[in-house]
Amino acid sequence: MRFKKLTSLALAAILAVAVTACSSSKNEESKNSPPASASPSSGGSGASASASPEGGLDHTKELELTVFSTTANYAGEQTGWYGKILKDKFNIKLNIIASNLDGGQNKIAAMMASGDLGDIVVFGSDKTDYPNAIKGGLLLDWTKDGLLDKYGKYIVDNFPKAIEKAKIAFGGGQAVYGLGHNVAGNQPGPSEGKDLTWGPELRWDLYKQLGYPEIRTPQDYLGVLKKMQELEPKNEQGKKTYAFSLWSDWDGNYKMTLAKQFANMYGYDENGATLLYVAADEDKYYEFLSDDSWYMKSLKLYFDANQMGLVDPDSLTQKFDDVVGKYKDGRLLFSWFPWLGSANYNTPDRTAVGKGFATVPFKEEKVYSWGFNQYGNDWIMAIGAKAKEPERIMEFINWLYTPEGAMLSSGGGTAIQNGPKGLTWDLDKDGKPFVTDFGWQAFADQKGTIVPDEYGGGTFYDGQSQINFSNVAPGLTNPETGEPYDHNLWTSSLKRNPSQLDQEWRDKMGALTPKEYFVKNNMIAVAPQGFTGKPPLMMDKALEQKNAQIGTVIQQYSWKMIFAKDEAQYDKYKQEMMDKVKGLGYDEVLAFSVKKAEELFESRKSVQQ
Amino acid sequence: MSVPADQLAQLGSAAAKPGRRLPNKYKLFLMALPFLAVTFIFYYLPIYGWIYAFYDYIPGIPLEKTPFVGFKWFRTIAENPTQTAEVVRVMKNTVAMSGLGIATSFLPVVFAILLTEIKTGWYRRIVQTLTTIPNFISWILVYSVAFTLFSVDNGLVNTLLLKLGFIDDGINFLANNRNVWLAMIAWYWWKSLGWGAILYLAAITGIDQELYEAAEVDGASRFRKIWHITVPGIMPTFFVLLLLSIGNFVNNGMEQYFAFQNAMNKDTIEVLDLYVYNIAFSNNFAFATVVSMLKSIISVFLLFLANGMSKWVRKESII
Repeated sequence: MRFKKLTSLALAAILAVAVTACSSSKNEESKNSPPASASPSSGGSGASASASPEGGLDHTKELELTVFSTTANYAGEQTGWYGKILKDKFNIKLNIIASNLDGGQNKIAAMMASGDLGDIVVFGSDKTDYPNAIKGGLLLDWTKDGLLDKYGKYIVDNFPKAIEKAKIAFGGGQAVYGLGHNVAGNQPGPSEGKDLTWGPELRWDLYKQLGYPEIRTPQDYLGVLKKMQELEPKNEQGKKTYAFSLWSDWDGNYKMTLAKQFANMYGYDENGATLLYVAADEDKYYEFLSDDSWYMKSLKLYFDANQMGLVDPDSLTQKFDDVVGKYKDGRLLFSWFPWLGSANYNTPDRTAVGKGFATVPFKEEKVYSWGFNQYGNDWIMAIGAKAKEPERIMEFINWLYTPEGAMLSSGGGTAIQNGPKGLTWDLDKDGKPFVTDFGWQAFADQKGTIVPDEYGGGTFYDGQSQINFSNVAPGLTNPETGEPYDHNLWTSSLKRNPSQLDQEWRDKMGALTPKEYFVKNNMIAVAPQGFTGKPPLMMDKALEQKNAQIGTVIQQYSWKMIFAKDEAQYDKYKQEMMDKVKGLGYDEVLAFSVKKAEELFESRKSVQQ
Repeated sequence: MSVPADQLAQLGSAAAKPGRRLPNKYKLFLMALPFLAVTFIFYYLPIYGWIYAFYDYIPGIPLEKTPFVGFKWFRTIAENPTQTAEVVRVMKNTVAMSGLGIATSFLPVVFAILLTEIKTGWYRRIVQTLTTIPNFISWILVYSVAFTLFSVDNGLVNTLLLKLGFIDDGINFLANNRNVWLAMIAWYWWKSLGWGAILYLAAITGIDQELYEAAEVDGASRFRKIWHITVPGIMPTFFVLLLLSIGNFVNNGMEQYFAFQNAMNKDTIEVLDLYVYNIAFSNNFAFATVVSMLKSIISVFLLFLANGMSKWVRKESII
């Protein structure tokens, strides 16, 4: 009988949970607010550190912020050295929700539909979700109650253009709902760090053995790569080497991502999910399905490479992580990106003997580069409409733009965050920044380097800011040191004793870094980053649907063409693709794409001096 | 342990005054009420969501501020010939995969019977455990198993075939368009055979042992006993599950096909659910709702059809 009672109790409990689950949105709020019982204990330690000099905000109570980041690749509490800095300085704790790890776009839609986006919101694009969130009243207007003027002083004084864009493009002329990422001052030239987004890179040691053959066009790589493959047909473990190993899990639903890379190296890029590729520094565009386009030429190039046995046969079915593993194992000879090839293969042991990936550009190259953007780029940081204590959030966001905050928080790609001052970097007696030995070790082996407990503990990697949003451009000059925020670009870092590989590369190319080489040889196309002064054009739902269908067809056939048996089959697939996309409304989408390109050209006028 | 309902009611109201006694039928109804409420909340209330099919809905923006578009999204399904051809292709895959699933739905029955015929207890338990475990592995992990086994460059199968000299070049098992349907059904049963057999095992346990003893006395062989006692004994269970799976004909889920899809096999692997996911679910809720509405209607229709067939053929029905 007693057992029975227990079971019925348990059943009742289950039922109660099920019923309350329906009204969970109400409970959510109370759950998010800082637990009253926890604050007194932590208040003691926080109080001393948080007698803040500016603003006079009370930091004695711990503030737990929910950060909904569509760009983050980590979910949960911010820990490690960055967590410690925030705790000490602002007595805040970040709890990150990452849609990337939890259903992607579906998660974003669910959060939007629930009407509560958390305290701090990061959008990976300003195209769709962000304007919709504003329309739906889900974001806080920073100008309300003078929030921005009172607690966002540094932003107001130093980045007025970013605020201007926020007001005109998204705020109906008055409101500020969020700011773009990588904001900069009015600084010319490329905004990237020592590497650009693209190389391409080859295995330098093999390229050297061949006597540095000249490469004029992307097609010339094939012959060179074939010879390199003959020089090293197997890696150290006796497994076959390939030039190209492709992956499809980054394709999204629109195109084959890896087929646009050579277009980028010619200074063109896609303009959102539209049918045109647009030049970085000229008002020119082409349809990417036309025969002259480097998208189509790349498909042909990979097809030829596959016929020559240079393409990994598992390209169709493997995932990105498999490819990373192959770079680490030395099974690949070509890399489109420095952050893929040299970042994974070039261990200190290998570079010391001159082995490794290094940039080998082709003569015609004019690599796409993003200019410094006073208006901010298209990722957005915003504050949720239901945020509690918006003053303290605003104060925190303001700090991210200050030299102090940016030295600790800005980064992205190969520009790894600098880490805590005094541990990974410091200032010398002239006030110039330098990386410590511990710092170099931490940057080279982020996951394997343990940070001492007094700096927050954990590995260096886990301790980085996991919001994945760089408020200011890492290449921007820090007014306090006169050097960029990115430690790769500090004078002390560039002069540091190079490995044999770096030395050989520098001697041969006559430049310290790839960026310097591209700039010196005028092989770079910097895209000015402006804006039209109008809200952005958007597709209506029906056109969006057509575009999505066209995209899936393009993507599928691109892969089929590369792995076609012979030329005849290649041409057949190409024809099928063209017929299908025409049938699905290609012309309509094209007309919109042209308008979108014209919008972009107009926006560039705003930054031309 | 079970107590008859009328006794239970007496137990519960022993302390209550005789004059205020509720008739038993209300008591029973009140006891069932929470479950009715749950059923209503989770199965009928969501139908309200069909309203989204008629709006250009954008998450985060209240419905009253959203434009009403009538049947626009219903019409897009057959808007032009290319579009129709796509839908036909997708439906062909859906029907093929579900059809194969139903055609092979006798497999767990056979497996359950074979399992009960194993007389060594520990061996039977091991087999059952090993075949049930895959059910709890997600499709994404199943795919990584498939990749390690069948990848061209380093896969176990290809390496083996190469070493034994059967082939000269690796075969790309995962990225080709041949036998996709068969491969998918094979993976499906690899994952769910043991799990599917559990219900039948329970049904077999429920068969009266005396029937077997009587048959033994009559000198029936092992096979005869299976054929004349076990099989008829689990037929009702089989038919209930069959009817349900016919009702689910158009819902074959998408996880499996999503994990296994690539450019080469997409033409034959894209079932309805995956198609909706690929083109609509991330940005077009109206369209996804339209498709799910149509699916519900087709499912209800199929279920009644199958039930009618069952009534006609077996003189039994489940509804």
